[in-house]
Amino acid sequence: MATISTAQPFPFIFDPTTTVLIVIDMQRDFIEPDGFGASLGNDVSLLQAIIPTVANLIQICRTYGVPVVHTRECHRPDLSDLPPSKRNRGNPSLRIGDIGPMGRILVAGEPGADIVPELYPADGELVIDKPGKGAFYATDLSGHLESLGTRTLIFAGVTTEVCVQTTMREANDRGYDCLLIEDATESYFPAFKAATLNFVRAQGALLGWTASCTEFGAALND
Amino acid sequence: MTAKSTIKADPYAWPYNGVLRPDNTALMIIDMQTDFCGVGGYVDKMGYDLSMTQAPIAPIKRLLATMRDKGYHIIHTREGHRSDLSDLPANKRWRSRQIGAGIGDQGPCGKILVRGEKGWNIIPELAPMDGEPIIDKPGKGSFYATDLEMILRTRGIDNIILTGITTDVCVSTTMREANDRGFECLILSDCCGATDRGNHNAALKMVIMQGGVFGAVSDSETLLRHLPCLSSNTR
Repeated sequence: MATISTAQPFPFIFDPTTTVLIVIDMQRDFIEPDGFGASLGNDVSLLQAIIPTVANLIQICRTYGVPVVHTRECHRPDLSDLPPSKRNRGNPSLRIGDIGPMGRILVAGEPGADIVPELYPADGELVIDKPGKGAFYATDLSGHLESLGTRTLIFAGVTTEVCVQTTMREANDRGYDCLLIEDATESYFPAFKAATLNFVRAQGALLGWTASCTEFGAALND
Repeated sequence: MTAKSTIKADPYAWPYNGVLRPDNTALMIIDMQTDFCGVGGYVDKMGYDLSMTQAPIAPIKRLLATMRDKGYHIIHTREGHRSDLSDLPANKRWRSRQIGAGIGDQGPCGKILVRGEKGWNIIPELAPMDGEPIIDKPGKGSFYATDLEMILRTRGIDNIILTGITTDVCVSTTMREANDRGFECLILSDCCGATDRGNHNAALKMVIMQGGVFGAVSDSETLLRHLPCLSSNTR
């Protein structure tokens, strides 16, 4: 067993052999300066800043044999898995499925929907394409985790309050112990990230724990 | 007021509420893949008589043409696994090898039940058209570990007409999953087939017990006689 004694809100104890890292939506459209996220006026430099830490976290997990799962938010090219409410909400100038700066926006197989090169999945690592914010709904993630005997999930990726938090809540309800790596996740809005970290730790780790990448690596090294 | 329309079926006129329109009803064609009904595929390799799983091809083809014309939703499924077999449970693989047709092993039509291989393709007679969703599923049921439910809900589909192979395995499992989720299901006896006649008949009979425990049973001829099209039903 490994322990992060400095995790919040209290020590986090886990078995590395039943632990999986989930890296959420580190996609070019959300992170790169010429992507969809930037075109909506978001400051992507905040998200770009975590790339080295996420890369380090992935490397730590690969070194210690912790499986790495990557997710991508994207839709089928015919948009049959895209609820009209999601496409039309707010009457945006660019909608999901339209031609954007890096191919059709949030459509599977388009360059913008792929993972940034710095964090690209290694051969054999599972990639989950998800139509929603949570990575469990309408995907085959559950079956994969069950077949690995997974008990603990480590979370990284973007954005903290949307896809990362939704997936953590789904995982928590399914009985997994969840740890969010504070410096390996980010939001376009720092206040939302801070609020999410508080949500997670509140009421005696209601949704899970948080710790830094360094603290997590040190626990594996002990 | 929308006119009610139903299909003569056993044990009740389907659907239960008479709300049958192209926009709220889908034809599901399950696993009409070379691996299940073609020479050199998985079922052939296990040594079963292919005529049983080939029997529904002609009736489905006729039904598909009409339902496309009338504007119904068409959804296809394929059973198959990722090429790295990461979604293949070890016991499923072991059992398939016991019977001499190991999933993931090389067969006459490529790797058996692996996505992208020749045997995994839907047979040309029933090839999907653009805009018809294809559900790739790792199990017998079409809902588990797929986005089928999301697509059905997004399109506002309430009624599902089930066809394909095999009656007692993938069609029956999918019908049970759909029924538990509140979808109104009809299975067409001549548009399904099994590797064993007794199992085909038993799977259909189970549907009609207890007042239609999983839905209702009819056949394609009866359905085509009464199937409403968009114009006749919106008046």
